[in-house]
Amino acid sequence: MKFVLTLLLGFLFGSILIATQAYSWFRIQEMFHFDSFHMYGVLFSAIATAALSLFIIKKFKIKTISGQKVVLEPKKLEWKANIIGGLLFGIGWGLTGACSAPLYVLMGMHYKIGISLFLGAMTGVVLFGLVDKKIPK
Amino acid sequence: MKDVLAWYIAGPLIGLIVPLLLLLREKQFGVSSSYRFIGSKFFKKIDYFNYKSGKDKWQFHFALGLVFAGVFSIYSGGFQIDAELQESTKYAEIARTIYSADNILFFFFGGIVIGFGARYANGCTAGHCIMGVSQFSLSSIVSTVCFFIGGLFASLVLIPLLF
Repeated sequence: MKFVLTLLLGFLFGSILIATQAYSWFRIQEMFHFDSFHMYGVLFSAIATAALSLFIIKKFKIKTISGQKVVLEPKKLEWKANIIGGLLFGIGWGLTGACSAPLYVLMGMHYKIGISLFLGAMTGVVLFGLVDKKIPK
Repeated sequence: MKDVLAWYIAGPLIGLIVPLLLLLREKQFGVSSSYRFIGSKFFKKIDYFNYKSGKDKWQFHFALGLVFAGVFSIYSGGFQIDAELQESTKYAEIARTIYSADNILFFFFGGIVIGFGARYANGCTAGHCIMGVSQFSLSSIVSTVCFFIGGLFASLVLIPLLF
């Protein structure tokens, strides 16, 4: 049941990304060239909606489906990791027009590009796993 | 580009995934931990992958949903890449080169940087940019700013140099 629900939420998220063309190399280039507000609008309104939802959940102490309190664990600040990792991820995003979620969407849409991206990403993650303890955080 | 879902509809819908995941699945929105989960199935010998991967299993299921959305879009007529390549926008020429079949290596190497960077920064556009920034987390704000600096550099400097 949980599996189906998670799958459906992923399907919903992917379908929105496709409908709004967030998977598109063109949309990402447009964004980084400041030629269109579209992707900024998507990102800003997504963040605003998420922030408002979190505010409402806290304000009215809304419980989860199993009656639990909503606990948020913010990610740990690691200056060097956030900056260097962030820059690298951004470079990959700007080059290929894909970030993690659109990468999966592309696997379904265009298997040659999607699978190349995915195998690349997995290679990158394994490389990271190998040097994880040795690089500055 | 035609028939695009307007940002003021798409953005809020994406934002709503955050409370839906929190309330229905008790999970914080994110995608790139799914790579670590997949790695844990193959590379247990590497410390990084020898972890309690159960906590990230849902993200793998979430990712499967994303792939299905991609497959479904082909059959519902949503496959747009080839159509976009026919258009004469200012990036179309470069895009035709990049998307040509010979350029699988470009995406492979791009993917390496995406995967390495996402795990190094401990999050991607979903986990940092949307989930983290909506919590006003400093780590996520720093990462998001760096995503954009990296992206600007790639798009404005590297791509013109490469193609």
